[in-house]
Amino acid sequence: MTAFSRRNLLLAAAIAAAAALTAGALIATSADAAVETGAPAPAFSAVDAQGRTRTLSEFAGRTIVLEWTNRDCPYVRRHYNSGNMQAVQQAARDAGAVWLSVISSAPGEQGHLTGAQAAAHAQAARSNADAVLLDPAGVMGHAYGARTTPHMFVINGQGRVVYQGALDDRATANASNSPADARNYVRAALDDLAAGRAVATPETQAYGCSVKYAT
Amino acid sequence: MAGAVEAAKKAAMRLILLILALVLGLAAPAAAQPLRTEHTEMELVSARAAIAPGERFTIALRQRIIPGWHTYWINAGDSGEPTELTWALPPGFTAGPLRHPAPEAHRVAIVMSYIHRGEVLYPIEMTAPANLSPGGSVTLRADAFWLVCSDICLTEQGPLALTLPVAAAGADDAIWAPRIAAAVANLPRAGALEARISAGPPARLSLTGDALAGRAGSVRSLLFFPFARDVVRHIAPQPGAIGPNGASLTLEPGPARALGAGPLAGVITFEEETTQGWAARAFEINAIAGAPLAGADGAPIPAAGDDEAAPAPPPLTLPLALVFAFLGGLILNIMPCVLPVLSIKALSLAGGAQRGEARRHGLLYTAGVLAAFAAFAGVLIGVQGAGAAIGWGFQLQAPWVIGALALLFFAIGLNLLGVFDIGGSLQNAGAGLAARGGDLGAFLIGALAVIAATPCTAPFMAGATGLALTQAPWALMAIFLTLGLGFATPFLLLSFSPGLQRLMPKPGPWMERVKQALAFPMFATAVWLAWVLTGQMGARGVLLLLGGATALGFSIWALRAFRGIGARGAALAFAVLALAGLWLGTRPSALASEAWSVARVAELRVTNRPILVNFTADWCVTCKVNEGLVFTRARVADAFTAHNAAYLVGDWTNRDDAIAAELARHGRAGVPLYLYYAPGATAPVILPQILSETLIIRILEEERP
Repeated sequence: MTAFSRRNLLLAAAIAAAAALTAGALIATSADAAVETGAPAPAFSAVDAQGRTRTLSEFAGRTIVLEWTNRDCPYVRRHYNSGNMQAVQQAARDAGAVWLSVISSAPGEQGHLTGAQAAAHAQAARSNADAVLLDPAGVMGHAYGARTTPHMFVINGQGRVVYQGALDDRATANASNSPADARNYVRAALDDLAAGRAVATPETQAYGCSVKYAT
Repeated sequence: MAGAVEAAKKAAMRLILLILALVLGLAAPAAAQPLRTEHTEMELVSARAAIAPGERFTIALRQRIIPGWHTYWINAGDSGEPTELTWALPPGFTAGPLRHPAPEAHRVAIVMSYIHRGEVLYPIEMTAPANLSPGGSVTLRADAFWLVCSDICLTEQGPLALTLPVAAAGADDAIWAPRIAAAVANLPRAGALEARISAGPPARLSLTGDALAGRAGSVRSLLFFPFARDVVRHIAPQPGAIGPNGASLTLEPGPARALGAGPLAGVITFEEETTQGWAARAFEINAIAGAPLAGADGAPIPAAGDDEAAPAPPPLTLPLALVFAFLGGLILNIMPCVLPVLSIKALSLAGGAQRGEARRHGLLYTAGVLAAFAAFAGVLIGVQGAGAAIGWGFQLQAPWVIGALALLFFAIGLNLLGVFDIGGSLQNAGAGLAARGGDLGAFLIGALAVIAATPCTAPFMAGATGLALTQAPWALMAIFLTLGLGFATPFLLLSFSPGLQRLMPKPGPWMERVKQALAFPMFATAVWLAWVLTGQMGARGVLLLLGGATALGFSIWALRAFRGIGARGAALAFAVLALAGLWLGTRPSALASEAWSVARVAELRVTNRPILVNFTADWCVTCKVNEGLVFTRARVADAFTAHNAAYLVGDWTNRDDAIAAELARHGRAGVPLYLYYAPGATAPVILPQILSETLIIRILEEERP
């Protein structure tokens, strides 16, 4: 038997660290995942409507806008039927951002689409999103804590979440209430990023229909 | 079952009311034709059959929702929105807001909504102008808009109207006056509870008043519903406690991040045990910011067990948790992580220690175990405090943390297998301590046993840890100390009973085998983490992880094989460089690419766009290096965008005759091959096999028409 030494302590410390991290992991997974504003955006890997695998790292260095969507949700329809969502998408792309629409509806739930359906719908809705990501298992949705459609996230070039919440300050599905003159938080966040400022309103309460996760 | 009976009773009651309403319908001028939609029936009803000039009276919006569907409270929670009326009133009339009854919390997945179900009466206070002339009638009109949801949501809308006769003296409506009065009485009662909101963290809402004082044991399911949408994180549990003067709840802040900075208004609901069973209570509160009210903390408040929407597992109460913790501690002794350490210590006891010394060592060992558990609990208490501020869900979402953990477990596994030796294992460390003997040794080995046990204990302690984190710091400490007591008990018994000591196994090669066998749980953990990484980073993550494991193995070997600092340094540098190469080579492209085909090239050439074709394969190292250094760069991607250039990729990883033919056409038998078609050019230019960022950008610039 070798004598007790400093090296043993090192190993003990390593195992203790591993154990502490494991315990931390258990604690983390038992809580509802929700992204902290300012924290690194959770990595994702999702197949888009064209069947390509898209990941967060693919867009490293670029501003990313994530939009949770469900084409049959009245809140989503209000923004698309009025052309408002497409206009914000265009503005984001003009500013050099990547726009990813995400569908987290589980199979059999409202708004679930296959790749071909999602591509056809994006075209019919004249969506200006760069890609529509399919997340039928809700992995990406849970990682981001996406609760509603629409639920918006803006990720800066350093990969940090700089905005999360509502698209604008009109929390209604009422189509007679025009979103055109609403205060648009996503546009404001993108303007702040473009001007090199901190995002003035980094977090708001999202509104809309619940995301149709598998239950 | 009780729910079904209750539902049947309600249905029967509704039928009776419906018949009554039909029979009395002719005599009820206050009732207008209801607005019927697919899921809802809406109408305005009045407590007054006739109104007098200048009087204040109460009407109500009656909303009847079909079973399985719901509408929303003032604050809809995470999804939805409340029913809205837009009035078109005769001159001089004023209408107050829609007054909502207390909501229900409705959780689906990670979405918490505050809802109404069944039949809802929303009282509305109206004022009539004084200049109305008796004998006529007035019609109150409103456009209604509402969201009605089950698992899906629909918007419904339509006009509502209520015509009321004007008389010199008003008169109550026989049907609706009592029902509306009951609805008003049933509204959350304001002013009955005094409330404070403290900033925390954790933010605590404390409530005192007769309604809660002295009710410990007869109150359950205490919930707070804020009026504002963004002040509280709706999905977060609201652990409640009740004391002699009232009750309190812990709240998590919502996006506004201002909990405790100003007043907080909303509704408190709970159930109170009465002689007739559990009765629902609702109070409107307006908490002012400040320190928690005295006497509002104490025993935890249970939740109702019969929540049909989301049956929650019965919460583990503290005494039960302590029992489990003790049992859990006992079980930990037979974990493979612990047994070897214990055996060695026990052997040293058996090996001639005096009775008195054995007992003292047993007690010191127990003290060591308890100290280690107390330290762990201390860390958790710290994390608990920080967690309220920083929130959970950060560690395992970062792929590098997962990767590093997997490598750590891999390295520990290698060590346990004896591939490398950093001065013996934990068991030897224990033996070293035991051999050294002494009081300090006995204490330290207790602490060490706990540390050695943690890889095995973490899964077993998940339940206790989960509960502990929701508890006050002292309860958390109690749980962990009980766990430690259970852990130490067998050894303590052993040290007090020499008879038991004789049953201990003898040292021998079996200990080395146990140590080696322990490597496999470590590898299994690494495999699990690799699987987690697949979900986060896909195949590339696994490739990088296995590359990392190889580099780690290589480094360990090199450190053992070479003695010179130069050789060791060179080996380590090689491992790091190889890993960096792997990282670069597999970096996803920043360029949007399309699959190459002869037809696609022809199509694009017609549009006069510049085209770059990259024939590549996953097994082609040069290709991957070029892609890592050139095509993944943002500047290159920007240049492609600026020149509207197309980037086509011909992937030759698998056999492809079309690609082989194209390679042959350009005199090549393999990849890489880079072709550049300038707009209008008749033939492509073959680019060098070693690319650079500037080369590609220059070509795009130069060849611009």
